[in-house]
Amino acid sequence: MWWIKNAHIIDPQQNIPEKGDLLIGEGKVLALKQNFTEDEVRAITKDRPWQEIDGTGKYLFPGLIDVHTHLREPGREDKEEIATGSQAAVKGGFTTILAMPNTTPVLDQKALIEYVINQGKKVNLAKIYPIGAITKGQLGKELVEMAELAAAGAVAFSDDGKGVQSGEIMRLAMEYAKLTGCPIISHCEEETLAKQGVMHRGIVSARLGLKGIPSSSESVMVARDLLLAQENSGKLHLAHISAKESVELIRRAKENGVDVTAEVNPHHLLFTDEIIAQNLYDTSYKVNPPLRTEEDRQALIEGLLDGTLDMLATDHAPHTWEEKANTFGEAPFGISGLETALAAVWKNLVVPGIFSPEVMVRAWSTKPAQRFNLAGGTLKVGEVADVVLFDPEATQLITEEYLVSKGKNTPFLGQSLQGFAEKVWINGQLVWDRKVEGKC
Amino acid sequence: MAWSRKDILHIEDLDLQEIQLILNTAKPMKEILFRAVKKLPTCRGKSVYNLFFESSTRTRTSFETAAKILGADTTSLAVAQSSLNKGESLLDTVRTLQAMKPDVVVIRHASSGAAHFLAKELKASVINAGDGQHEHPSQCLLDLYTMQEHLGSLEGRKILIVGDILHSRVARSNVWALKKLGAEVVLVGPPTLLPPEIKAWGVKTSYNLEEELPGADIIMALRLQLERQQAGLLPSLREYSQLYGITAARVQMTGKETLIMHPGPVNRGVEIESSVVNSVQSVIEEQVTNGVAVRMAMIFLLMGGGTSHVVD
Repeated sequence: MWWIKNAHIIDPQQNIPEKGDLLIGEGKVLALKQNFTEDEVRAITKDRPWQEIDGTGKYLFPGLIDVHTHLREPGREDKEEIATGSQAAVKGGFTTILAMPNTTPVLDQKALIEYVINQGKKVNLAKIYPIGAITKGQLGKELVEMAELAAAGAVAFSDDGKGVQSGEIMRLAMEYAKLTGCPIISHCEEETLAKQGVMHRGIVSARLGLKGIPSSSESVMVARDLLLAQENSGKLHLAHISAKESVELIRRAKENGVDVTAEVNPHHLLFTDEIIAQNLYDTSYKVNPPLRTEEDRQALIEGLLDGTLDMLATDHAPHTWEEKANTFGEAPFGISGLETALAAVWKNLVVPGIFSPEVMVRAWSTKPAQRFNLAGGTLKVGEVADVVLFDPEATQLITEEYLVSKGKNTPFLGQSLQGFAEKVWINGQLVWDRKVEGKC
Repeated sequence: MAWSRKDILHIEDLDLQEIQLILNTAKPMKEILFRAVKKLPTCRGKSVYNLFFESSTRTRTSFETAAKILGADTTSLAVAQSSLNKGESLLDTVRTLQAMKPDVVVIRHASSGAAHFLAKELKASVINAGDGQHEHPSQCLLDLYTMQEHLGSLEGRKILIVGDILHSRVARSNVWALKKLGAEVVLVGPPTLLPPEIKAWGVKTSYNLEEELPGADIIMALRLQLERQQAGLLPSLREYSQLYGITAARVQMTGKETLIMHPGPVNRGVEIESSVVNSVQSVIEEQVTNGVAVRMAMIFLLMGGGTSHVVD
């Protein structure tokens, strides 16, 4: 039993006082009120012992839910394991994460879905939900057995890592997924346009002599998938939106009632292609979709504020040091994000007043829970107690030693970030305590 | 002025004084090429490694010749012999070489930024001998040397660079340098090889060669990689040649004694007519000679030279 006192509670799902107390017990949120007296707490907890935490100056919000992570297991345990990814998640404030299926082998069969779920349960930290592939082997040709995979625990389907090139296969996927109620997550990338590109196609790529990935390689697929979803009433989620044209297309589709949600990654809100010229050929900024221009960045921020973009997601993509220690062209795409994303967003977007804390929590907890039909995402009484006590003042220098993820490939190495999860509960169990560093 | 950089990686970063120092240092170097005994003791006991991950005959030979004339010991590694084929990473290959304590490492690589990446790891001085589609500093410097030798100051001179601008490291290096030297640069090519983002380089771009010819002091034709046609960037080499080929008739349209340049190797009959390559206005072979002199200057300066009194 936990009694957290006088914290700034954020839950966009309910009208609650700005400062308040929260009681956690039996794995659930027991009660929430401006102030409890000891007698009241004793009554609610039925005289069982509790621990008290002073939440003064801290925020309390539902555990963050990341709908886009690459945990690399099975197959590439040198990059990340479900165990290390789970540790990184809770340390970063995430109580639930969705695992992308582009592992080796690809998560396209029931046994593999069950494997990921079981590995997650063994670690028993963040709740891990696998996403099944859309097509067998992510080859873009034949649909997976979606009904069986959903029954085994897959919460969505995606060929993330590459786009489904065939329009007909994508249409069929959206149709067939209706059997499961799960969204299709589209990685929007038209391969003939993106081919061999390594950064955003524009002024900077022309100067640096790097092959460019045009914004259109994303937005033409966004347009296609929105039209397909409109035509067949499919349930669509768009991964890692990076281009302003895509934001505009999604905005119009939502006005037309298309059942679509979309996510944006923190790095696309924080950086532009210019940073690759400033830190010449630094591969920690090599990511797909690529960092685009300031206009795109502003459009993404606006999209998140007006709800066109529904959620934040890290696209946590760990790689080994050796893979990233290469030329820009040859290094793999991806940024390791679980441990730094929250602090980076807090420091660079919330503290300067661009996002309110409410906007951040809605995008990183409320909306993901609703869209993917997951437990958590709110602090309503009776809900599972997936809770984060967040210290907005805590600062931390990001070093390789600090990161528990095997992926040290983050542009924040050597930088100081602000705003970290101080305590994290999952099902009412304390799984992370920053004060007792390393307690997992 | 003394040379102060560890590496020579890209022209964009060099200031005018540095460019001029290299070019001035190359003058006495060129004289040496015409001596009966072409050997200096200047860099005796120093080692220069040529690390070519991309095939090249002229650039590698030129650097090797330059280092040998300066008295340095040279080692050349071609990619075919390298341990990269045995699964060793680029970084480990270079660290292994570093352990052999070279003084200068000349790097050619198909990836843009490769020289920057390796320069961070190497204690030796690094010369970028061409990185992907990014820059080719020594080619640019030999081009400048050749231009200045014929025209003196390049201030206000009209210089056309014609062809595959998008994929050309030579064009990039030359644009940055010629802007610094006050020349009027015009980039000419078909839209697929001259996309709109190149306008941000701050020089004129044009799709129409014949409109730009009048008044041109220099025409530099770029090598057209024949695979660009297969990749769909050009409908045919025939049409490319009709629109952008440097012919004798077109050279006449400049109304000047225009210099004809080409970084080589030349596709005769594609980007440039054979008779133009052989004409008196062509300085294509001089460019090769000047390349040795300029590369001698680069190695010399990086080895701690620094005055213009380099010879005897």
